[in-house]
This record gives sequence, C-alpha cells and structure tokens, in this order.
Amino acid sequence: MPGVKDLAYYAVHPTQLRSIIQWKVWHNPVHERDESKESESLKRCFHFLAQTSRSFVAVILELHPDILVSVAIFYLVLRGLDTIEDDMTIPLAKKEPILRDFHNIIEQDGWTFTENGPNEKDRQLCVEFNVVIEEYKKLKPTHQAIIKDITKRMGNGMADYVKNAEFGIDDNGVNTVKDYEQYCHYVAGLVGEGCTRLFVEEGKANPALLKRTELHESMGQFLQQVNIIRDIKEDFDDKRRFWPKEIWSKHVDNFEDLFKPENKDKALACSSEMILTALRRADDCLFFLAGIKEQSVFNFCAIPQSMAIATLDACFQNHDIFKRNVKITKGDACQLMLESTQNLQLVCEVFKRYTRKIHKKSNPHDPNFLQISIACGKTEQFIESIFPSQKPPVDEKKNPTNVEEAARLKKEAEESKWETIYMISAVIGTVVFISGIMLVVAWFAGARFDIALGQAKEQLGQLFGSSGSINASAPLDTKPSTDHSEL
Amino acid sequence: MPSTKVLITGGTGFLGSEIVKVLVEAKDFAITALDINPPSLGTESYSSVTYVRCDILNFKKLREVFKEARPTVVLHTVAVNLLGESRYSTQGKDTVFTINVDGTKNVIQASQEFGVKAFVYTSSVTVLLDQLEENFRNADETWSTGRATTLYGQSKTMAEGVVLSSNTPSFRTCALRAAPIFGPRDPVTIPTIYGCIANGETPFILGSGNNLQDYVYVSNVADAHVLALHNLLGLGIAAGEAFFITNGEPITVRDLCLAVWKEFGHYPLFQLRIPEELAWWMGWGLEWASWLTSRKGTFSRGVVLDATKTRYVSISKARRVLGYIPRVSLPEALQISCQVSPRIECV
Repeated sequence: MPGVKDLAYYAVHPTQLRSIIQWKVWHNPVHERDESKESESLKRCFHFLAQTSRSFVAVILELHPDILVSVAIFYLVLRGLDTIEDDMTIPLAKKEPILRDFHNIIEQDGWTFTENGPNEKDRQLCVEFNVVIEEYKKLKPTHQAIIKDITKRMGNGMADYVKNAEFGIDDNGVNTVKDYEQYCHYVAGLVGEGCTRLFVEEGKANPALLKRTELHESMGQFLQQVNIIRDIKEDFDDKRRFWPKEIWSKHVDNFEDLFKPENKDKALACSSEMILTALRRADDCLFFLAGIKEQSVFNFCAIPQSMAIATLDACFQNHDIFKRNVKITKGDACQLMLESTQNLQLVCEVFKRYTRKIHKKSNPHDPNFLQISIACGKTEQFIESIFPSQKPPVDEKKNPTNVEEAARLKKEAEESKWETIYMISAVIGTVVFISGIMLVVAWFAGARFDIALGQAKEQLGQLFGSSGSINASAPLDTKPSTDHSEL
Repeated sequence: MPSTKVLITGGTGFLGSEIVKVLVEAKDFAITALDINPPSLGTESYSSVTYVRCDILNFKKLREVFKEARPTVVLHTVAVNLLGESRYSTQGKDTVFTINVDGTKNVIQASQEFGVKAFVYTSSVTVLLDQLEENFRNADETWSTGRATTLYGQSKTMAEGVVLSSNTPSFRTCALRAAPIFGPRDPVTIPTIYGCIANGETPFILGSGNNLQDYVYVSNVADAHVLALHNLLGLGIAAGEAFFITNGEPITVRDLCLAVWKEFGHYPLFQLRIPEELAWWMGWGLEWASWLTSRKGTFSRGVVLDATKTRYVSISKARRVLGYIPRVSLPEALQISCQVSPRIECV
C-alpha cells in the first residue's frame, strides 16, 4: 500500500501518477502465458522466476510462447550459477568444480544443491533445482545447446574470477577497465549473446545480429555497468568492489575514500568516468534493438535499456549514490515502460531525452566533461542517422542535367496531360452509358416517357408561366378577410 | 621508386603547412609549396621542400611555377575567408570571389595545361551549412548546395562546382569539405573563443545549448588530403566527388567553448541562458547601434545564428570511400592546440 509520503509525492507530481495509471489500465501483454497447460514443475519454475527476479519477471512472462519457457529456464540456470558463485560460505575447493561443471550438472536428473548458507536469498532455488533440470530437458535441443554453451562459458569465467579474488591476486576487486569489461562480459555480455541466439533461432530477430557481436555485448554491458554504478554503496557494504582501480585511482588513493564526505568532488568525478564508460555503449544498444522483429521480444529488450539510461541519469552528478541506493521513481518507470513497449523511434526519443538530461548536468570542472559531451553527441547523431528528423531540401530550381533528361521531362509532362484528358472522358462516358442503360431498362419495363415528358413540360410551364398568377391570386384570397375586418 | 611530385597552393598557410608536414613525413613525395607568403615564423620549414612565392591571381607567374615543378598532383588549399563581422556582410565581394573562384580557375587551367593527373580541392562545409537560418542535422553529400548566404560559402560553392565539373579520366578532381579547422596557431577558431574571456562573455549561453556542430583538427584534414591524393592516383573512386571532413564528433557549441576556456584555466562564474529569439533581437538592435555610432560591433544576428543553429554532418562517405579516420580526437586536439596557441597572439 502506498504510504503517506508516496501520496504527497504524487499529489505534486500528477504526470507521474498519470503514467502509473495509464500503465496499469491500458497495458495489455503482447502474449499471455497459458497456465492451464503447464506441468507442475514448470509452475514451480515460474514461481522461482517471480521470486528471484523482480525486474525481469514481468517482461519474461509476456514473451512469445516460442521462447517464453526457454528464456525463463535460461534465467533460472544462470541464477542458480550466480547463487553458488555469490555464496561466501562455500569453500573455493567445493565451489570451483561446480561452477566449471555446471553445464553438465544441468543435465543430471534430480540434481539439487543444499549447501548454500542460510542467508543466501535464492537458496531455495538450488534446493529444488531438479525442477529446473526437468524443464530444461523438455526444451528444444537447439535451445538446450545454446543454454548449455553459455552456461559453460559463464561458469568458467566466474570460476576464474572467484579464484583470483580468493588468492588476492587483484586485492579482491577489479583492476583495469579491461578486467571490468571482462567481468561484465561473463555475467551479462554472455546473457546478451544467449538471448540473441535464442531469438534468431526462433526467427524473432535479424540473423545479422549474430555477426555484429559488439551489439549484443553492449546490450549486456550497458545493463551490468549501470547496475554496478548504481549499487556502489550496497556492494561496498557487502565488501565487494566492481569499480575498476584504473578509474578510481585517478581520483582517490583508497577505494574507501570515495565514500568520505570531504571527497565529494573527487567521488563525483570518478562516478562520471564510470557513467561515461557505460554511456559510450548507448548507440550500440539502439542499433541492436533495430534488429528485433517481434513486439514481445522488443519489449523484453527495450524496457531494461530505457530503465538503464534513466538510472544513469539519476546517478549522474548525484552524490547520493555513495550514501544509498538511488532509484528512478515509480512514475518515471511506468512512463518508460509505456514508451518502451511500442517502437524503436519512441525508445530513441527516451535515449535522446535522457542523454540531454545527462549533458545538461555535465560541468566543465569534471575531468571528463568533453568526453561526456562527445558521447552524448554521438548518441544523438546515431539516432538522427536511423530516424532523420529532417529531409534534404528539395531543389525546385534544379535544371535538367542534359538534353535527354530535358526531353524525358517534356515527354512525361505531355503524357500526364493526356492522361488527365482520358481520365475525364472515361468518367463522362461511364455516366452517360449507365444512364442510357437505366433508361432502356425502364422503357422495356413499361415506363411511359411520353406522359412523363408531357407532365414535365406542364410543370415547367407552371413554374415559369404561372408565377404571375400565383401572385395575382393572393389579393383575391385576402380581399374577403379585409372585408370582414371592416365589418 | 620515383617520388610523386606534389604542388600545394597555400603551402605555408595554416592548413597547407600541416599538409606539407604530413607529406614530408610520408617520404615519397617531391613537394613544391606555393604561397603568397614565405613560411611564417614559428612554423617548421623543410629543406627538402621547394618554397615558391607566387600569387595565384598572377597567371603568368603561376604557369612558370608549374612549368618548373611539373607536378603530378595539385592540392589547392588557397582561400580567403572573411572573419568576424565581415563574415555576414556583403562587402568585400570582389576580393573573396577573385581569390576563391578566379584563383581556383587559374590553378585548374595551369594544372590542365601541364598534365596534372590529380587535383584535390579544399572546400568547406559552408557550401551547405552557410544557409544561416537553417538547421542541418546529420546532413550528407547528397544534400544539394547553392543556398549559402555568406560570401565565403557562395564563393566556395562556385569554386567547388568548377573543380568537380573539370573532372575527367585523365584529370581527376575531388573536393574535401572541411568543417571549421582548428589547431596550434590556428588563426580563427580558438582565438575567437579565447577572446570571449577577456570580453567577459563567457557566462552567457545563446539559445538552447543543445545544438550540435562540427569541427575538425588540422592534422585530420591534412590526412584526408593525402588519402584523397592516393585515391585519385589509384582507384579513382573519389574522382568527381565531394566529401565532408570533420572530426566525426559533433558537440554543442557551448561545450566546445567551455572546453577551450578550461584549457586556459577559465570557468564561467555563473551561467545565463539567453533564448534564441531574444538573442536574435539583441543582435538586430546592436547591429543598428553599431551602424548609428559607425563602430564595428562584435555581436550581430549572424553571430547569433552561428551560435544557436544545429549544424553537423555525416562523414560516413569519407570513411567508406577514402578510408578516412579522424586520428586525433577532440580532447587531445584541443589540448595540443591550446598549449601551442600563445595567449598573447590570441588577444
């Protein structure tokens, strides 16, 4: 239930309230899942999906039936993997082989995992992982192969990361920007690849997307990087650090210093460099969306991207990210969902709006001021290139370039003139012809044109010839009445 | 391998000297640099380069230079641009058209006479963008020109037309439409922006502040000339074509200014936005004021239009056909330029 604070907020932000109502009232899912035909284990899977992912469940559930279950299972498999990776209570010796072998585990009937620590929030998913495996095995073999391949690569990537962290090779965190993007590749870029392969497999996306690998990579990177930027405080409290040392060390000596109030300016400069790194991916994400052919898939891809660019704006030049979790308001979220579930042009408008907001907040004291400006300009130019807002001016005065061209133009003009004449004569001809047929038919049916003509003549005569007599009769009628009045 | 003979008109100018530098570094060119001025102080001059003083309007002298140099390639960079207020006026038409159009015709005639194979003309984005009242968003080379309202834009359009229509299989020509060029010792862009600091004009934002415009770093333009030269001598797919050459990084005018001021350690104390319409009327008023007092003002409707309109182009044709890549990006380019441009020279 909304609290008093919320009510007060929406009272002064009526447009946001309007968006929420619009979304709740008017949004119809593109596809609705048919629960009656689902098996018990699949129902259980959807239950876990709803539990483990608050942000993705809505968009997954509206997916086209061809890929709905595959995407859901794909998500749960990766979530299972992630739950094991995240759990600090599992020793490395136990964790590493599971991560590296997870792509085989998902094919072992009845496999479950009960050794997660009691505080792990998605513990139950691993405890009942057999339902996921059961459903995984029912998927199309092609889908299984895609999920298996991604799981294998992600599991190995995670294992490497966990191992490095354990042995303190990179003092429990990410060093270079390359490491950072590598990490994002394993946890998100690969998801982008897997989803794209599923979509293309089912004909829901342009196969060219598989060739331009940097596009689906950017889709994942953009979302993951935005999460990492937004969750800086939460991760720090959990003793995790994903911001690369290469970036923060330019601004502060120790990572903790970012959170000290006296370093506010340095922290902001550091966060804008992080935001810049993410922002450079924005045009790729829009380009990717242009390759989606099906509405539900488009919504699935576009909603998180719009949310991400809005979150980026909310975090930009906002020192609160070092104190708490910064979120976009519910009204804005609904507005974004409305705009992201229609077409690419509207999503481009969203991106343009938010890049301009970011641009407006940028100030020259920021070391990356010019770079941010360039990144914003690049996004805007890209949008302009796919949806030109302006047509090249038409040259009215332009003269024909040569004699043949001139002759051709003259001939065309002549032809079009005759075309008009033919057209008009055809219309007149048709009218005359049809009237003629009607008259003949009427005559055969016994119409007395002689009488009709005679009557017509008479009426015409009355109309013109007797106009005087009608006027003349008026005094005759009125005369008696005047007499009476005299009486 | 015999080196290709190249003649550069305007070879000691701001862009010309940069092209000479790039050609010297490439090592396989015999270079003649033709200019009305000798190499200016502070710029590098090379012993391997033949410097010739010649006015391109003096056709007799020009022929002699060509006869002596016998170039295979001509890079024609000479142009005169009206700066400041004169940019928007119609005075000085004769000078501009004589040098930019007749001068170009002279160079073409001499080139044809002495068997030049390739001719690269330094055109300007102004051929399209100097229709000052208009916005241009991501325009490309298919957009027709001929509507420029400034003398400079008109003269460049005319000269570009002459160059491109002279293209034949044995005399290949192309035009590079460069965006406003800046760089070390650049005579226009950076000094103009720098000048705002002394005038106390930095806090004022004209228009929305969202309008993107293009610029280009001088060595990137020089690169484009060398690429065009190679293309014309080789495949020749650039022959008869015009190309936009920019840094490929459109940014808002305001941000470019802020970035330049930042290089000089200046940050505006506050920011005040002046709406486009209001600025236009202010420009109109000040034009009258300066006319009445018969003093030259620095603020006019032309300045307002230049500052508030959106004007950026796509360089995908240059990337595709010439293989052009802007090697020096804006941040780096500004840093180099502002370090070298001495402050005294700017004021």
